[in-house]
Amino acid sequence: MKQAVYGLLLYGFLVLPPVAALLESIMIVHMHMQMPLLVLSGIFMARFFQIHFPRFFEKWNKNGVPGVLLFMVIWSYWMIPRMMDETLSVQAVEVFKFISLPFLAGVSLRDSWSKLGSSAQSMVFVFLTVVFLFMAWIYIGADKQICNNYLEVEQKTLGWGSLAFALIMIIYFLQLFYIDQSEYK
Amino acid sequence: MFNVRKLAWVGFAFMLTGTALVAVMIILNEASVLYTFYPPLAAHPFFYVGLVLLVLGIWACCFGVFINYSHWRKAHRGQPTPLLAFFAMGVFVLWFFASIGITIEVLTLIPWSMGLVETTNVMVGRTLFWWFGHSLVNIWYLVAASVWYVVVPKLIGGRHFNEKLIKLVVILLVILNIPGGFHHQIVDPGISLSIKYLHVFMSLAIAVPSLMTAFAMFAVFERAGRRLGGKGLLGWLKKLPWGDVRFLAPMIAMIAFIPGGAGGIVNTSNQLNQVIHNTLWVVGHFHVTVGMSVVMTFFGICYWLVPYLAKRRLTAKMNRLGVIQTIIWTVGMVLMAGSQHAAGLLGDPRRTSFTTYGDHSTALSWIPYEYVMGMGAVLLLIGVLIQVYAVFHMMFFAPKGETEFPVAEAEDGAAPAPMWTERWGLWIVLLLMVVAMAYVVPIMDFILNAPPGSPPIKTW
Repeated sequence: MKQAVYGLLLYGFLVLPPVAALLESIMIVHMHMQMPLLVLSGIFMARFFQIHFPRFFEKWNKNGVPGVLLFMVIWSYWMIPRMMDETLSVQAVEVFKFISLPFLAGVSLRDSWSKLGSSAQSMVFVFLTVVFLFMAWIYIGADKQICNNYLEVEQKTLGWGSLAFALIMIIYFLQLFYIDQSEYK
Repeated sequence: MFNVRKLAWVGFAFMLTGTALVAVMIILNEASVLYTFYPPLAAHPFFYVGLVLLVLGIWACCFGVFINYSHWRKAHRGQPTPLLAFFAMGVFVLWFFASIGITIEVLTLIPWSMGLVETTNVMVGRTLFWWFGHSLVNIWYLVAASVWYVVVPKLIGGRHFNEKLIKLVVILLVILNIPGGFHHQIVDPGISLSIKYLHVFMSLAIAVPSLMTAFAMFAVFERAGRRLGGKGLLGWLKKLPWGDVRFLAPMIAMIAFIPGGAGGIVNTSNQLNQVIHNTLWVVGHFHVTVGMSVVMTFFGICYWLVPYLAKRRLTAKMNRLGVIQTIIWTVGMVLMAGSQHAAGLLGDPRRTSFTTYGDHSTALSWIPYEYVMGMGAVLLLIGVLIQVYAVFHMMFFAPKGETEFPVAEAEDGAAPAPMWTERWGLWIVLLLMVVAMAYVVPIMDFILNAPPGSPPIKTW
């Protein structure tokens, strides 16, 4: 339960208007730091929901697949440039971001993760890697400004950052193949 | 099987050659570029080639440690690594990834200094340097911390602190370390204020494992002191072996890390840094952290490691000389670093030769502090001479005998560290993630909005 409290504290910190404004002022920090941190806060807070509503998760997320699908849908949604742009111009979209990333993506990812087999877990990694590579392709390749709120240089930076993340995910994936993980359980 | 011992010698040879090459170029006045060799100050190409050899030597040693670690893991499945080996792994992982930044920088500077490329991007060079520069000092600190955690408890007749916490401290220091160097660039142009502000968090994150270390070490001291019969609130302090140089030197080193760490927090904070940037305060700061916390720990190590290697004993006389050396060094450092901190607050700049700025009253007010620095420096020189004498004596002239390599044991019934602490693959990936978060923005900004670049400049 302690971690649910930590998750709530992290969430509370991220929701603070000056913190949100600072993180959203830089495109790459908005996507690569604020959004993953919101998911992380949800991952921590998930403990609370798992303890208080076990029947709900048992009923709707028995084998973990619905939860992880929900995570993928929500995560992909927030990778669309237009959505990120709208969080800055439309208050309702901003509210949706702060609800969807922790409570729909984070909580469902946490609940699903242990229920998934190792091959399904690998698929999540592959999904994230592919998404990052795709983002790198879009943001580095685009020769026009895609977001109203961010400059083209920030967009390119985000592209290179996504490429770096994709490469790091691939490194992670490779070490999973070469190092026997069962020893570290 | 790959011979790790040979790899270490290869590394040593590379480093020795590299250092010689660099030193020769400096002495020939072909490399007046200071410690940080910031472009556009240019050195002779051989200076940079020497640096490349130095880094290759470090990498040879890194791979030696990694190969050793993996052998040990295969031979001891399901067992947590011994603490000193774990520290070694942390130190060399940090070495390897920290040196990547500077390698890229040096490889771009070589063709530039040879005239094959006309200009270089100065800001990218500085950023790549500090990717490495701050981790370098943290590598020394991590080595010193390994002695505090593992060796010192044995010397005072105690046990080491909880193994899980120690390993967590190593992991955190490795993952969070590299972006910490960014606070050296806090007054650099071309980086937006919001990025600098976010970086303050990254730098301050390193303070967390250091505070964990402070807590753990004092807990170890109190437990050991009470076991030896120390009573009351602070009675245990008296029971510690203050007359043993092997304890005294690292203990003062640890105490020095309290003002050292606090000064570091000042340097990292955006506003406070504006006051002390490029003043003698900074010089005072690294005299406390490196000159005391790290170097005094290494001095303390000499008094058991050298006799251990030479198969000799530490005599009572040599111990007394060591205590005297420790006191001289401490007084010298307190005078030197203390006056440097004070002079820095009054605006005394660093990296400049002596001047009174036409007898300006502010500049004249620095001079008394500079006298104190000089006195401290004299004491430090005496301290060095004694230390060199002591090392030679223990290596070649001390009486033959057996010296123990002190390694503390865990408390009775203490649980071993959980196996997840050994997931270096994951720690390295997290380290890379943190580096990517920290450096993609400034580096891309410097490249995409690059100024024309600078040709090599030789000032003298």
